[in-house]
Amino acid sequence: MEEMLAIFIASTLRLAMPLMLAASGELVSERAGVLNLSLEGMMLTAAFFGALGSWASGNPYLGVACAILASVVVSAVQAWLSVNLRANQLVVGIGFNILALGATTLLYRIIFGGLSREEIPGLPKLAVKGLSDLPFAGTAFFQQSVIVYVGLALIVLIWAMLNHTSFGLSVRAVGDEPRSADKAGIPVAATRWKAVLITGFMAGFAGAFISIADIHTFTENMTNGAGYLALAAVIFGGWNIGRTVAACLLFGAATALQFQLPAMGINVPTAFLLMLPYLLALLAVAGVVGRLEPPTSLTLPFQRGK
Amino acid sequence: MTSSTGSLLSLENLGKRFGSLQALEGVSLDVRPGSVQCLLGENGAGKSTLCNLIFGVYEPTVGSMTFDGAAWAPESPAVALERGIAMVHQHFSLVPRMTVVENLMLGQVKGVLKRHEFGARIRDIAESFGFTLDPDSVVGELSVGERQRAEIVKCLMRDPKLLVLDEPTAVLPPGEIGALLDICRRVADSGRAVILVTHKLAEIAKVADRVAVLRTGRLVADESMQDADMGELVHAMVGRELKPLDVALADDGEAPAASRPLVTPPKLALVCDGLTVHDRHGAVRLDNFTLEIKPGEIVGLAGVEGNGQSELGMVLAGLLRPTEGHFFIGGNDLTHAGAAAVTAAGGGIVPEDRHAVACVTAMSVAENMFLNKLDRFTRFGLLQRRTLNAAAQMQMREFDVRAASPEVAFSGLSGGNQQKAVLARELTLDPLVALVAAQPTRGLDVSAVEAVYRQIRAAARRGVGVLLISSELDELIAVADRITVLYRGRLVGERPAEMSERGAIGALMSGQVA
Repeated sequence: MEEMLAIFIASTLRLAMPLMLAASGELVSERAGVLNLSLEGMMLTAAFFGALGSWASGNPYLGVACAILASVVVSAVQAWLSVNLRANQLVVGIGFNILALGATTLLYRIIFGGLSREEIPGLPKLAVKGLSDLPFAGTAFFQQSVIVYVGLALIVLIWAMLNHTSFGLSVRAVGDEPRSADKAGIPVAATRWKAVLITGFMAGFAGAFISIADIHTFTENMTNGAGYLALAAVIFGGWNIGRTVAACLLFGAATALQFQLPAMGINVPTAFLLMLPYLLALLAVAGVVGRLEPPTSLTLPFQRGK
Repeated sequence: MTSSTGSLLSLENLGKRFGSLQALEGVSLDVRPGSVQCLLGENGAGKSTLCNLIFGVYEPTVGSMTFDGAAWAPESPAVALERGIAMVHQHFSLVPRMTVVENLMLGQVKGVLKRHEFGARIRDIAESFGFTLDPDSVVGELSVGERQRAEIVKCLMRDPKLLVLDEPTAVLPPGEIGALLDICRRVADSGRAVILVTHKLAEIAKVADRVAVLRTGRLVADESMQDADMGELVHAMVGRELKPLDVALADDGEAPAASRPLVTPPKLALVCDGLTVHDRHGAVRLDNFTLEIKPGEIVGLAGVEGNGQSELGMVLAGLLRPTEGHFFIGGNDLTHAGAAAVTAAGGGIVPEDRHAVACVTAMSVAENMFLNKLDRFTRFGLLQRRTLNAAAQMQMREFDVRAASPEVAFSGLSGGNQQKAVLARELTLDPLVALVAAQPTRGLDVSAVEAVYRQIRAAARRGVGVLLISSELDELIAVADRITVLYRGRLVGERPAEMSERGAIGALMSGQVA
């Protein structure tokens, strides 16, 4: 039983990881007032280019770099459209997601088509010395992919940045009252740009995790809504990083149950378990559980003097 | 004019034109260090324009300024701030969801935030000017007065030589005004100059050293507060030439208001009984408002904007539930009934915000004119456009709404024609018991103003009780039967609608006890 629980915790962490990475990145740009519905597309693009880079170079770390680069390029276009051209962020986001799905599917069929199911070089699991042998915690926490530890460190960095630096203060100000921020001498457009690029960077990590660290291959539409779940986690988390990470863990746990419950001999229809994380997200977003206020100027472009 | 030796800021024959509008003309003024200079004037008198010239928002068309011993021509507010002029705007520029210390650090610090250190500085500055401010409280949870103090500290942190406060008392509840004035006094006593911009003379009288009065862009008084006579200042502020409006309206062949025969009322048209509105911060916006309007009577509600008129208009339109009190139209209690019931009971509403509330600008003129009666033009659930347009055409003729056709978009009409169309819609309600018109002539030209009031007077002759809310005192005097005055959400007095009462009404509007 204890073994089961340890495995459950380990798989929760593994399944929640891409959500946590993407959601904490998305949180930064939402706090700055830009909604990236394209998060799903960024992650899918990153997953594909991560796999491609890793396969072509034989080095999974180069794969991660490719993933991040691809996702940051997507986020730069998103930033240009939503900050400079003041395009509708919802429409731009949906457009990106459809484009990313089509483009990665096409490229996948052209490049990997002949070698489907080919194993690509993945990231190693890192057993933390001295800790991985601990009876319970070792299995639960310390036999994870290397990206998990880096990711957790990045999330802590984002927390510190948002709450304890002048840049974080500017991010929050331009997301709430860009006019006041402008008066205080904060460059609104530049701050929002940086925030969206941070989202791209984190979404790149998340995509790389999915294709290189977790599954070691790429399949069509392999993010399968993880980007949307991350967006839901930000809302569920009330734009607070601690609560957002908790929401991701909850969604991760709901997914982990799919594998855990049958193993424990508990019979629940698989369809229900598959649905569970999305159902939770729906309830969360509908505000059934403690609704909190979004940043005041979320999705609202800023133009001085208007 | 005093000599400019020893003055911190002096203005020399300053003028500003916006297109055809002369906003400011020939203004010369000296502001001394260590003094509180009050700048008095009605809305649109040019006070804000003057502040914006000093603060570098606009450049003057003619004239020159000197500040701190050198020629003063700031190209932007940033330059003004740097050189020692700080301004507390009427609309605060704090981020409500951040704490005081975070707001004050914004744009002022780099790198890792040292909240504690910065917070201590905030406390020190506040204390040195005789008040307290908790740096860790969230701005959105503060009272308006506390927010204003945070803004003042934000300015004082830059150690300015001149502090400008734009209408600082307009947003404050009476209890907090004294505290603000004490702060102003202390700021002046520390050797800085303070400019207090206001239209409420009575409030600032005890703190000001000098007072200057602006009227229609010109400086009409500039004297030491000690020598000033309150009555004369009020007169200087509001005593402008009578507009030809009442002359124009007198020509419509009807008897003047007083001798108009009134049908003995079976019921009162509009009754407000103790209406009270608290805003979401708990501040009282409307305080125990009680008023009765008989059928056929036009009651003017005068007052400087922001004294509760908007809230009253919203309550009577059924768009805002009062915290306390009731109102009745034709004897029906409609306090909690909502907008549709107000219309059904015969309450015609001309809202103060024509664009956002009164109409749907993207829809056609005809659709807007019958917006509250569209069900009359439907058959089997379908809108009979031809009948609608024909009806609109007739009504446009009757109310002189000029548009190419009833089918053009409402947004294409001039402001005057839009207002006439809205008025037509509300005046053709059946039954029509009471009409509430809020600032119905704002932004309209003279001929449109006349047309609007002609229609309102005609409705009153048909037995409709009219509540006319306006900040244009001359118009109220010309149109209304009696004038009540709203100040800080409270009815502070009632006077006959006569030119000779103008000074007395003006005094009530600026907060002086009658």
